[in-house]
Amino acid sequence: MFASIRRHAPFVLSLAGGLGLWEIAGRHSSPAFLVPLSATLERLVQLLERGHLVDLFLSSASLFVTGFVAAVIIGMPFGLLLARVRMLREALDLYIMILYATPMVALIPFILSIMGFGFAPKVLVVFLFAVFPILYNTIEGARSIKPELIEVARSYRSREWALWREVMVPYTLPYTMTGVRQAIARALVGMVAAEFFLSSSGLGGLIMGASQSFDTAGVFAAMLIIGVLGVALTRAGLMLENHFARWRG
Amino acid sequence: MSLATAISPPQRARLFAGSLVPRLVAGIVILGFWEWLVREFAPDFVAKPSAIIAVLPGVVSSGPFLESTAITLAATAEGLVVALLFGTAIGVLIGRSQLADRILRLWINGFNSMPMIVVLPLMSLWFGYTTYARFATIIFAAIFAVIINAAEGARSVPKEYVEVASSYRSGRFRMMFEVVLPASMPYLLAGLRLAFGRALIGAVVAEFFTAIPGLGYFILYNSRTYHQNEAFVAVILLAGFGVGCDMLISWGTRQYLPWYRRDERAE
Repeated sequence: MFASIRRHAPFVLSLAGGLGLWEIAGRHSSPAFLVPLSATLERLVQLLERGHLVDLFLSSASLFVTGFVAAVIIGMPFGLLLARVRMLREALDLYIMILYATPMVALIPFILSIMGFGFAPKVLVVFLFAVFPILYNTIEGARSIKPELIEVARSYRSREWALWREVMVPYTLPYTMTGVRQAIARALVGMVAAEFFLSSSGLGGLIMGASQSFDTAGVFAAMLIIGVLGVALTRAGLMLENHFARWRG
Repeated sequence: MSLATAISPPQRARLFAGSLVPRLVAGIVILGFWEWLVREFAPDFVAKPSAIIAVLPGVVSSGPFLESTAITLAATAEGLVVALLFGTAIGVLIGRSQLADRILRLWINGFNSMPMIVVLPLMSLWFGYTTYARFATIIFAAIFAVIINAAEGARSVPKEYVEVASSYRSGRFRMMFEVVLPASMPYLLAGLRLAFGRALIGAVVAEFFTAIPGLGYFILYNSRTYHQNEAFVAVILLAGFGVGCDMLISWGTRQYLPWYRRDERAE
């Protein structure tokens, strides 16, 4: 038990210290500039009571989940296909690398003027942010498979299905999961960007609205939620990655 | 002549051709599909490859485009320099001091996992719709990647280096600049690569948001006024910056730090 306290004490102290600093700094500065923690939490409760917050959160969550799941459903099988069919991979890897490095936010104005303000263009933004890390890392994983492994499988007359199950998937999946972890973080950025720059909605819309009405406490409250969400999702991504990294060679 | 040298040149040539032809074919298929899709289904103003190629020379030599590019690059570089200086200092501190690590790690990781563009509205509240808002956004976007990589680098400096340096009575200053920083160079470069991409995104997003001049605003303005082809030239340039920075840094790592191998893409 003491060991556990000793292990967690620095984090608790650091958390408490930082929050305390926020509170003190907030009390001593103009409320238009910085709002103390207590006022931020107060605003958060207000938003909760008025019933908006849950709706806004659900709206953001449905956007995030739809875009992210679409990226996984399309990115993973396509990535594995690229891993297996060498010709296809060599044909496309350059383009995937370029799209991976392209700042996807730059495409938002195009999506806006072509697709308008609905739910679909926002999902597309989240999807575009999330899909390329998955593809990119899956291809990296496919490159890391030693040709000998496939040759051995072949010389034992392995069937296609067995080759996938025993060689392709186990060797590329850890890399794919690194991609999925990056995709989680990027999808969150995409979600906020879509809510900022397409039709304003969800938690991003809450920040926008609050900043336009100079409601600094509202801005901080919404940022706090998104920050906590970011930390939780990052942790989940790391756990997922580590779970699959166990058999990474 | 040994067997190996005898067979290697044609083999290499075949490998090269093996990836060049599929790539070219894929490129043509992708562009062709895009062109067909837009011609068949989309309104006239939507960007398509043939029209982008047609406007490319005009845009690239036009004043507003060059000006926007210069502004955004300069702003990104400014923010990046500040993020690198402070980020490296904080990162090395975290990497070398356990106390600093315990105090700061939680917050650094927390901020790093926050989607950085949420600070935009706050920055516009603080600084108004000015270039300062962009400057602050770029720094915020880039600095945490720098800190985390610098800390990891400083932590990974082999103990022996530090012991040898201190047994020769090396002072703190020289220890830092002649041992710790050079030894963590690969990590710093990995951090720089990440930070550059994020800084660029930060700059573009800030320009969208505050409508101050730059490449982001160039894209926004042109696509709003139905000049998508012109706007897309700027997207190509941004993609080029991203890819170019990646290639430059991995080339630099191979050239100057050849002993170093690491999963470079790890974020």
